[in-house]
Amino acid sequence: MNIDFAPELEAFRAEVADFFASAPTPAIREAGRKTTSVFAPFKECMEWHRILFEKGWIAPHWPAEHGGTGWSVEQRFIFAEEYRKADLPPLLPQSLGMVGPLLIDIGTQAQKDRYLPDILNGNDFWAQGYSEPGSGSDLASLSCRAEPDGDDYVINGSKIWTTYAHHANRMFMLVRTSKEGKKQQGITFLLLDRMDYPGMDVRPIVGLDGFPEQCEVFFDNVRVPQSGRVGEENDGWSVAKHLLKHERGGGNAASPTLTRYCQRAREAAAETRSPFGGMLADDPVFQQEMGELEADIATLGHFEKLAISGHEIARDPAFPSMNKTMNSELVQRASTVMMQVSGVDGLARQLEALRVGSNVEPLGSEFDLISMPLYLNSRATTIYAGSNEVQRDLIARTAVGS
Amino acid sequence: MDFSFTDEQQMLRDSVGKFLEKSYDFDTRQELVRSDAPWSAEAWQQFAEFGLLALPFSEDQGGLGGSISDCVAFAELFGKHLVVEPYVASILLGGTALAVSANESAQQWLEKVQSGEAIAGFAFEEGRGTPALDQTRMVATPADGSFTLTGEKRTVMAGAEADILVVVARKGETGEPALFVVEQGSDGFAARSFTTIDGRSAANIMFEAVPALEITDDRELIERILNHAIIVHCAEAVGAMSALLSTTGEYAMTRKQFGVPIGSFQAVAHRLADMKIAYTKARSTLIYTTALVESGAASSRDIAILKGQTGKLGQAIGEAAIQTHGGVGMTDELNVSHYHKRLLALDAQFGAHGFHLRMVGQG
Ligand SMILES: Cc1cc2nc3c(=O)[nH]c(=O)nc-3n(C[C@H](O)[C@H](O)[C@H](O)COP(=O)(O)OP(=O)(O)OC[C@H]3O[C@@H](n4cnc5c(N)ncnc54)[C@H](O)[C@@H]3O)c2cc1C
Repeated sequence: MNIDFAPELEAFRAEVADFFASAPTPAIREAGRKTTSVFAPFKECMEWHRILFEKGWIAPHWPAEHGGTGWSVEQRFIFAEEYRKADLPPLLPQSLGMVGPLLIDIGTQAQKDRYLPDILNGNDFWAQGYSEPGSGSDLASLSCRAEPDGDDYVINGSKIWTTYAHHANRMFMLVRTSKEGKKQQGITFLLLDRMDYPGMDVRPIVGLDGFPEQCEVFFDNVRVPQSGRVGEENDGWSVAKHLLKHERGGGNAASPTLTRYCQRAREAAAETRSPFGGMLADDPVFQQEMGELEADIATLGHFEKLAISGHEIARDPAFPSMNKTMNSELVQRASTVMMQVSGVDGLARQLEALRVGSNVEPLGSEFDLISMPLYLNSRATTIYAGSNEVQRDLIARTAVGS
Repeated sequence: MDFSFTDEQQMLRDSVGKFLEKSYDFDTRQELVRSDAPWSAEAWQQFAEFGLLALPFSEDQGGLGGSISDCVAFAELFGKHLVVEPYVASILLGGTALAVSANESAQQWLEKVQSGEAIAGFAFEEGRGTPALDQTRMVATPADGSFTLTGEKRTVMAGAEADILVVVARKGETGEPALFVVEQGSDGFAARSFTTIDGRSAANIMFEAVPALEITDDRELIERILNHAIIVHCAEAVGAMSALLSTTGEYAMTRKQFGVPIGSFQAVAHRLADMKIAYTKARSTLIYTTALVESGAASSRDIAILKGQTGKLGQAIGEAAIQTHGGVGMTDELNVSHYHKRLLALDAQFGAHGFHLRMVGQG
């Protein structure tokens, strides 16, 4: 065992912190502070994406030969920590965290050549078209149909909850190509190189914070080239399972984000009176709540570091599910504390003030502006990427009799 | 002992319920919330016709001499329909506070409030860390036999629309909290209005030496006004909880995944069971506490138990309802998230559950 705290790591930390202090534009910083879900405001997020790309830091978790940084585990963690400390908009996961790594692993050379450069430089943004109105947790029951026709597929059906489809220029999706055999067997994984095919219609859905984030995507005889297929026809389920490793696999550390939420809660509590005397930050009940939360976050951090170092704990078949469950529930707990610190000051609906670049002053502090939307949006973390009920079923299967 | 609603109360519930079913369905309510109007003037007029606006006032003040359980009887329906009209603010807080004033102009305002011609507000909340009367920080300074108010009040329901406001402030830095009355648009009064997450019109109000008349500094009286309002406020929460329980139960029966209704998965079924237990707990406490208040036996601890329980259980029911609905639970289109937001708002006002439960714990 060895925790390598080499002195050059501190130099690395300083280099990263310096860059984060100087490179982001004011709009990017504002977007970071006003990020109230896992998905940052799109425009500024992509501006920041391009700046990181120029710096060569856009994909620390990618293999170096494909544009990764070649950093050690410790460096990646330091990078994530400094990133969160600077309140920068988190990068969107669909391209860099999902379809990119998938193509690196199992895409054709032509697909890699065509798509990876534009994922890295931020010219492209990919939406994830999996869920359907009738198929959520039971994803394999999906029915959006693709019929082979010459060199094309003709798609009919719809997708739902497709995050940022209204901003995307590309989409990866699962379609049904066969109704024979088990439901998992007739699924195909497709890359759509455009979002504006004739017959495609993208309609945003307003979320419970009042902003559109997810979309419904309709397909009416949409003709797309078969060259966008990843893997074999009818073998899309195994492709999707492969991608899932990246989606849930903890390639990006979550604990620094959680730590930042706690810092914000503590800062706000330091300037809030406790009704029981003194300031809220000094109140023992508040401290116990923070202590339980922060200890769990620290533990998640330990677990994450073990995992990215390649420790056997992460080779447990339940690792992705445990990681997802712990992380999502901590996001909810941390944002609940923030919402509760704000109290009545979190009750104003302030859509304009939340919009980046609106120049609308919030009614109270910026903390009170974001705490409620953050709490509300965090309700989604136990629903998406496999609900926590479904995750617990998977974990239970590995725990029973083991 | 009898904790059921009387025949009369049941009749009132039926007629208010019928009106809301017909004219206050969710889509109509959403249109109203999105419009520029702070609430529906027609609905308010209708409430006046049902006698709701005059209900809690004594007959010699032109009221109907109704009891707190009368208000609870229909307030559950207000919660079920996510009513945005400022009933608690204008009638139970502003109105009943005006009713204790001997001042003639206050009495004239009260008349208009009862008929629905005027709206009264109640400026109590001061933001984070000030959940109860004892944390009031606004100060009333004596000036020529009356007072001036300086400071800020937050999240005042109907604060920008109210014609007349009752304000809670201390008589001097170290004095006791008292009630004062202020007219909208007085010198030094600046309201910044907004819509709350649950669709109600509210305002943060800056007071800069605003002239004010004292109503009372009788602690018991002020607490009684607040406690009655809190009970009706909690009745709204319990109504919202009942709507969430039935909507979610229905959804779990009809939504299918893996070829079966999701309600047949034990994880989902047990969550529904917990929701039902939570609702039953909240409603039991509501009904029992209402009866206690009516018999004059309720202590401040009883009120804290009610407020703490409904806040905590309401948040849990809202979160469970969203989780059970999956993706659709996260949308603005479905009513589920709106119930949850109403429950969060009701919890936060007059001290959130953490505060009240800790008061209970202090014995
Ligand atoms: C904010 C957000 C972003 C999203 N982004 C995307 C995206 O970009 N692309 C995409 O394709 N999808 C996306 N989704 C969709 C997401 O993956 C689905 O919401 C999720 O799979 C759950 O499906 P559902 O919403 O249909 O809920 P359902 O599957 O209908 O589930 C409803 C409830 O039943 C429970 N349940 C279901 N099956 C079981 C079981 N077997 N045992 C116990 N309980 C069960 C669930 O846990 C849940 O509580 C997003 C969702 C959200 C909320």
